[in-house]
Amino acid sequence: MRIAIAEDSVLLRDGLARLLGDSGFDVVAQCETADDLLLKVRSYELDVVVVDIRLPPTHNDEGLRAAIAIRSRYPSVGVLVLSQYVELGLALELLADSAEGVGYLLKDRISDVTEFVGAVRRVATGGSALDPIIVSTLLSRQRPDDPLAQLTPREREVLELMAAGSSNQGIADKLVISLRAVEKYVSSIFAKLGLPSSGSESRRVLAVLMYLRS
Amino acid sequence: MSASVTAGPTGGRVARAPRVPLLSGIAVTGVVAGATSLDFALANDGIGKELGEPLVIATIWSWTTVAYFLGGVLAWWRRPASRFGPLMVATGVICFLVTLSWTTSDVPFTIGQMLDKLPTALFLHVFLAFPTGRLNGRLEKGIVAVAYATALLLEPVRMVVGDYGPHNLFGAVPAPAVFNAVRDAQLLALAACCTAGVAVLAVRRRRGGRPLRRSLALLNDAFALGLAMIAVFFVANMVDAPAVAQIRWVTFIALGLAPVAFLIGLVHARLARSSVGELLVELRADPAPSGLAPALSRALRDPSLTLAYWLPAFESWADVDGHRVELPKENADRTTTLIEHDGAQVAALLHDGALKDEPELLSAVGAAAAIALENARLHSDQRAHLDELRGSRARVIEAAQKERQRLERDLHDGAQQRLVALSLELRRLEERLGPDPQARRQLDQARGEITKSLAELRAVARGLHPAVVSGHGLAVALEQMVALAPVPVRLTVDLECRAPDRVEVAAYYVVSEALANIGKHAGATSVSVAVSQTGGELIVEITDDGVGGADPERGSGLRGLADRVEALEGRLRVWSPPGGGTRLRAEMPCG
Repeated sequence: MRIAIAEDSVLLRDGLARLLGDSGFDVVAQCETADDLLLKVRSYELDVVVVDIRLPPTHNDEGLRAAIAIRSRYPSVGVLVLSQYVELGLALELLADSAEGVGYLLKDRISDVTEFVGAVRRVATGGSALDPIIVSTLLSRQRPDDPLAQLTPREREVLELMAAGSSNQGIADKLVISLRAVEKYVSSIFAKLGLPSSGSESRRVLAVLMYLRS
Repeated sequence: MSASVTAGPTGGRVARAPRVPLLSGIAVTGVVAGATSLDFALANDGIGKELGEPLVIATIWSWTTVAYFLGGVLAWWRRPASRFGPLMVATGVICFLVTLSWTTSDVPFTIGQMLDKLPTALFLHVFLAFPTGRLNGRLEKGIVAVAYATALLLEPVRMVVGDYGPHNLFGAVPAPAVFNAVRDAQLLALAACCTAGVAVLAVRRRRGGRPLRRSLALLNDAFALGLAMIAVFFVANMVDAPAVAQIRWVTFIALGLAPVAFLIGLVHARLARSSVGELLVELRADPAPSGLAPALSRALRDPSLTLAYWLPAFESWADVDGHRVELPKENADRTTTLIEHDGAQVAALLHDGALKDEPELLSAVGAAAAIALENARLHSDQRAHLDELRGSRARVIEAAQKERQRLERDLHDGAQQRLVALSLELRRLEERLGPDPQARRQLDQARGEITKSLAELRAVARGLHPAVVSGHGLAVALEQMVALAPVPVRLTVDLECRAPDRVEVAAYYVVSEALANIGKHAGATSVSVAVSQTGGELIVEITDDGVGGADPERGSGLRGLADRVEALEGRLRVWSPPGGGTRLRAEMPCG
């Protein structure tokens, strides 16, 4: 898998490149700025980019702008945004109207290599990866008559993993239950929340997010 | 206690009026001169044989002579600093001398005839030199000089070649062709000078678009009419126009009216002084400081008047609201009059230059308003100090915010990045460690510590400065805040563009503090947060359905918010009736 990294801290950029290289990725480009990243995306056939949300020169929203630009201009390239803080508002901006091939994780997650590499792979292949903090923020939201209260603890766990972008197989592995059991939970959750069960796993991420947000 | 008025920042030369006997003597001389002229006319066969047009014209002329004498005396008396009075008297003298041509003795006739066109030049001079008696600039001086030269030099030439009867001492050989040529040249040149004079007056009337005071406008128009009529009359005379008699009538009447207009102007100025009484009555009612300039403007009949106050602490001039102003440079149009009170500079009246012509009025108004002006000055001083205070508070808050922003960035770029990198490094180490359970456990523990540190640093960074607001705007930043709020929140953000960072950050803190308060005290079941932009202001409104009774003075959180909002020249208001929920509204200018 061909990957480009945009991160202005040399220490982290090197660490990321090594980590991803060791995990079997082909690190094609390491960029310091958003402009450089956009240039590399245009020149190389990439599967996925990993981009820091704060990049020079102003360290404001250059990384996010670049991520959104790549998503709209190169839909086949997965975009994983890393940040020192995760914000629900930014997640919503980044996803806009599709959760396909997009990820948004706290930088801390890098150190859990298996999880992180799994997330990069998912994003590279059109899936999604949302930071658990985003999901728990959404789930913690106060609602007048909370429909989430109808969910069993197990269903709630499944919902969290689903919203973070895990596939059914991923959920089954993590909860150590069978794939069939996961499918049962998922359809039960959709029924309880009154959501139409949608096909792809990334489409259901968006559906769940939008549901939780409103 | 004393109030004094200085005309112009440097003060002015005090001119004394001539003694009353001298002025009375001149006035009597004028009346005698007019009567004598009339006597000449009556004794002249061509004029006064019967009551006809020539006699009426001669009478108007005699009146004009008297009017210039009397107007000159009055002007000299009231405005000793101005050359205008003497100039008018001189005009009266020449008007009289011209009537010597109505006599039948050789020498007086010749003198009178020689001066025949000089009054035209003098009228032009008088009209253009009002009110100072001085001509402004080369153009005006040039016009008047040409008029004098034409009037004085060409007349004797005409007398040499023209037929002026038996008393003309210059009479030589009549040469009608030469005479006509010289006459036409003279009349045309004088008509041109008068027309140029009319143009100068028209420009003066419109200059700077300022509304001339009424008495001045009247005078200006009377002068312009006189000059225009002279020009028309001379040209009509030259081409022998059919209506030349009627034109002569109008011309002489217009010239006779000009000094009358001048007298009306003087009386008007005297009347203006009665407005000082009205001003005193108005000031007794203790008008607001902002009402002082309009009151003075009415009393001085100068709509263009403005005031500036001296603020010694700032060593500068300021308007009534304490905003610094510069005094304009003195010129013919704008003049500055300084008002002092108890020996200290208080205020400056910035007014029409024409008012310099009425120093008594200026000093009377200045004296009447001195105390009110001192009060207004104190008001201005207070406002200026308040502005300074507000400015320094805003600067302190801004500097603190800048500093916190810098610290947040330092944390982000430094410690936070390093810890993440370190944690990555530990993971690599772990992979190479081999199966040593003890070491693995310790490494795991270390990584757990790093994760905790990162979470703590994140909280510290966020407390220092909400970077997401600066980086991505209020709408994005509020999304997470309301999701984490302890009560259901309905959020509406309607912003067309980003507001300045300090305003957005303040708005962010307003919502944050309000939501925290609601969670702690309000017992609310729903909250709405609305952010909008109206008329250059960012408006944040947070409404809950809780118990109400919030007191902004008691809770230090709300007080701190109000400080922050007010430092940005905004307002924070709270409505919180007991049992009726709480509405908090912050308005902050985005400029």
